Amino acid sequence: MSGESAGVQGRTEGQYVDLRRIALLESIQNEDQTWAKLAPRWCVVEPEPPWKVCLDATCDCLSAGGALDSLERRHAEDELETVYSAIPNPERQLLTLAHIMLSRGLVTEEELARQISTVRARLEAVQE
Amino acid sequence: MAKKHKDDGHEHSGDHGHDHPAAPMVDEISDFEILELAVRELAIEKGLFTPEDHRVFSEWNDARSPAAGSRMVAKAWIDPAYKSRVFSDPLAASKEVGVDWAEPSGFGTTSDYMHMTVLENTPKLHHVIVCTLCSCYPRPILGHSPYWYRSPNYRRRIVRWPRQVLAEFGLLLPPEVELRVEDSNAKSRFMVLPVRPAGTDGWSEDQLAEIVTRDCMIGIAMPQPGRTSDGPRPIHKASRPVHSGGRPREATQ
Repeated sequence: MSGESAGVQGRTEGQYVDLRRIALLESIQNEDQTWAKLAPRWCVVEPEPPWKVCLDATCDCLSAGGALDSLERRHAEDELETVYSAIPNPERQLLTLAHIMLSRGLVTEEELARQISTVRARLEAVQE
Repeated sequence: MAKKHKDDGHEHSGDHGHDHPAAPMVDEISDFEILELAVRELAIEKGLFTPEDHRVFSEWNDARSPAAGSRMVAKAWIDPAYKSRVFSDPLAASKEVGVDWAEPSGFGTTSDYMHMTVLENTPKLHHVIVCTLCSCYPRPILGHSPYWYRSPNYRRRIVRWPRQVLAEFGLLLPPEVELRVEDSNAKSRFMVLPVRPAGTDGWSEDQLAEIVTRDCMIGIAMPQPGRTSDGPRPIHKASRPVHSGGRPREATQ
């Protein structure tokens, strides 16, 4: 993990997750791109973004496969609530999942950054 | 940052063999959409789960909604025999409204233990459910929990000041009504069977199901004619960050 030590109220170690902010995830917290802002901008009435079902499935799969227990994840999400308080759900749920996976070494920041670039290039290619 | 693409000049001409207007959709790639995909693909790449696992759970999640719970309540209101099964064998009663708690794996999910209790409200007794530990919720029958239900603020306060918290949701209970807060645990799920409201005599099961909203089955609202949706609820932030008392040694959710 990288980034400054700016944990909740000076704490950097939660019981379930390292609370230090992660530079890569800090760069993604653009409130203007949350579903709460996107949906009305495009006159969409769906209460959740399409990717929410996939996020829930990822959480279920991680728990079913033994990589990240659901209860441990929920405790870690609670601890991270104030770290990501500026972002509403479900985006906060996504950020905290990524934070927990990074914190627990399931993926590295470099790997995630690389995959984000790969996905971005792929998705934006069809918009040219 | 994500690239924006908006074709403001597009009009649906009806030349594609259908003449209804296209449903609005977000034609913009967000950083969060990219992050979700990246996390998922990386997890698959690392062998944490398979694409097939994800497909199965996605389909299961996509099919969840409070509609099955609404149907269960409405059916119980008009069918006394079914109502008794709702209390004696809630999982079998769930099957009768199309929900098999054993899906999608054959033994449920790791977050939805196959044990459920239905709590009957009466004019003198009101139930409300919570999970103070995390956010245990009867997902198979009620769909996904609302964010306020998951928030530490709700979980902490509903067990301490239940009447006040219900009042914040707009539900004012007379003092003579007993109030019970049922706290879910790792292996028990609860659902509230609300009181059938006045003014619904002669209604069909479909009509009744329409007024049994998610919040009625959590216990923060009561069904009433004309009320068919819950609307947005406030999410109060916790005044202090959460630091729970310790890792549960035998937690297996």
